[in-house]
Amino acid sequence: MAGRLSRWLVFAGVAAIPLLLVVAPIGTFLAISMFRAEKHIMNYTPTVANYAEFFGNWTYFGTYLGTILLCFQVMALSILIGYPMAWFIWRQKGSRRYYLLLLAVVPLFMSYIVKLYTLRSMLGLNGLISQMLIGIGILEKPSQIFLFNQRAVLITMAVIYMPFVILPIFLALERIPRSLLQASFDLGASGWDTFRRIVLPLSLPGTIAGALFTFVLALGDFITPQMVGGTTGFTIGRVIYSQFGLAYNWPFGAAMAAVLFLTALAGIVLAGIAMSRQKI
Amino acid sequence: MALELNEVSKRYGATTVLQPLSLEVANGEFLTLLGPSGSGKTTVLRLIGGFTAPSGGRIIFDGDDITAMPANRRPFNTVFQDYALFPHMTVAQNAGYGPLVQRRNGPEARKLVDETLEIVGLSALRDRYPSQLSGGQKQRVALARAIVCEPKLILLDEPLAALDASLRRQMQVFLKQIQRRIETTFVFVTHDQDEAITMSDRIVVMSQGRIEQVGTPKDLYYRPQTRFVAGFFGDNNLIEGVVAASGDRVETRLGNFPLAAPAAGGCKVLMGVRPEAMRIGEGAIAIPADVEEVMFGGAMTRVLLHAVAAPATKFDVRLAGDGRGQALAAGDRVCVSFDPADAVIVAD
Repeated sequence: MAGRLSRWLVFAGVAAIPLLLVVAPIGTFLAISMFRAEKHIMNYTPTVANYAEFFGNWTYFGTYLGTILLCFQVMALSILIGYPMAWFIWRQKGSRRYYLLLLAVVPLFMSYIVKLYTLRSMLGLNGLISQMLIGIGILEKPSQIFLFNQRAVLITMAVIYMPFVILPIFLALERIPRSLLQASFDLGASGWDTFRRIVLPLSLPGTIAGALFTFVLALGDFITPQMVGGTTGFTIGRVIYSQFGLAYNWPFGAAMAAVLFLTALAGIVLAGIAMSRQKI
Repeated sequence: MALELNEVSKRYGATTVLQPLSLEVANGEFLTLLGPSGSGKTTVLRLIGGFTAPSGGRIIFDGDDITAMPANRRPFNTVFQDYALFPHMTVAQNAGYGPLVQRRNGPEARKLVDETLEIVGLSALRDRYPSQLSGGQKQRVALARAIVCEPKLILLDEPLAALDASLRRQMQVFLKQIQRRIETTFVFVTHDQDEAITMSDRIVVMSQGRIEQVGTPKDLYYRPQTRFVAGFFGDNNLIEGVVAASGDRVETRLGNFPLAAPAAGGCKVLMGVRPEAMRIGEGAIAIPADVEEVMFGGAMTRVLLHAVAAPATKFDVRLAGDGRGQALAAGDRVCVSFDPADAVIVAD
């Protein structure tokens, strides 16, 4: 009896911090989303009107769908660029691979805002990208097409979240025993066969983790669209932000945030299922 | 000769791991590379398999120089020490990997995989994943995967090292049976002398990147030619000495012992006597010794002693059963004796 009680006490002690810091805020959010703000005065009668408004109004729902599409694009772009980079780093020998890996994750130690401003200047009218394309002869004069639109948001997010893709993929690759590659080679496989049949399937869990990181981070990001998105790079994160700030409609913002939260949760669950199907 | 290593050497920077070495492997033989860790035996295997390039020398197979041929084009397959099974593939998929990547699909390939799984006794487990198998079963999968492509040579890198003793003896017999059945050359690497003796047609003893001696198990056991082989094989008891001018005696710190066969006078030699050829008690040659330890081992009793005249000279004597009724205890002063005909003389 005393044993059970003390076990419960230990459990309660351990659970208190996540309860306080994770479950309580989210619960509050869900609760607020059921209320109504009428002319800046809260109406505490529970209702689903906020959700109805969100799903019924294409301005909001369309933005939400567009954001999800954007997140998938960011995810795909990050993986397409990050996987080869992780693979390249993994193929290096000796200390060089760790220097390169360090170089790849150094941006994680830099301020988010600094990175955004850097990218903004690179993508801008007289930025590096424009100048480079003029140099090669693809562009005739400096172009605005890389900044203040959806494309700019996509490029910026993909670049900023790249370390979150490279790191888990590299770790997954590094966990593959060298002898497996030798065995594959020994049995007559070409380099491509070994990659396709051994390396790729065995690095899939890391790739899924990287994809999940970018998806969830991109979903909640409202600063990047604000900084480089201009008028067309509008995402649901920005909408929610404006509901809490400009519009001062917390219940509606909370409802949208709840939907976004469930979307991220769905992504995590799907990734979890995909990973548990791996036979490793 | 099926495979020939011609003055093959290997260096990593300034360290030489393999001195120039020549070796011939006959078709269908079970050849073992035996040596302690760091002796270069695994390097030899990796050179044959094509996983590392030699720093010098040539590797010739069936008359063709294959020194520069990459591993995936050599008609050899390897059983790796850690098995190196593909964790995301079933037993059948692992076994079928070779035919798959060699683009040999179709019914014959499938039949080949089925037959191979039958040979190694894994048909019932074909849909299991490696994580669901025991060590011995994994070993069989690794073997199946290597033999399914019908290679000319199978390289085995300490394949039994991870198994427990009884399973290990089972697998020794099993490997030997498989080798006889598929009539393929096996090159086997081990550091275990018992394993080498029981399985091999020929043994190559290696030490410090050099070949010490090549021969049949009996050759090596009864006629070691170097100090290292004499010490490594059969735990020979070694007594240092010099052959007397007359050539019929060895003069040692423990006394003068007659030689069974005459030798050149003045040579520094080692006299080696196998533990089971030594007795405790009076004999033709008797050396006073103190018992250090008596260890009962079932079929054998092992007695460790040192000479009274030279305590640094240790003796390892094995007596059948519980020691033929001799009640020995640590601290007893006895005589160890042996027949000169049982002693091997190794140049030192």
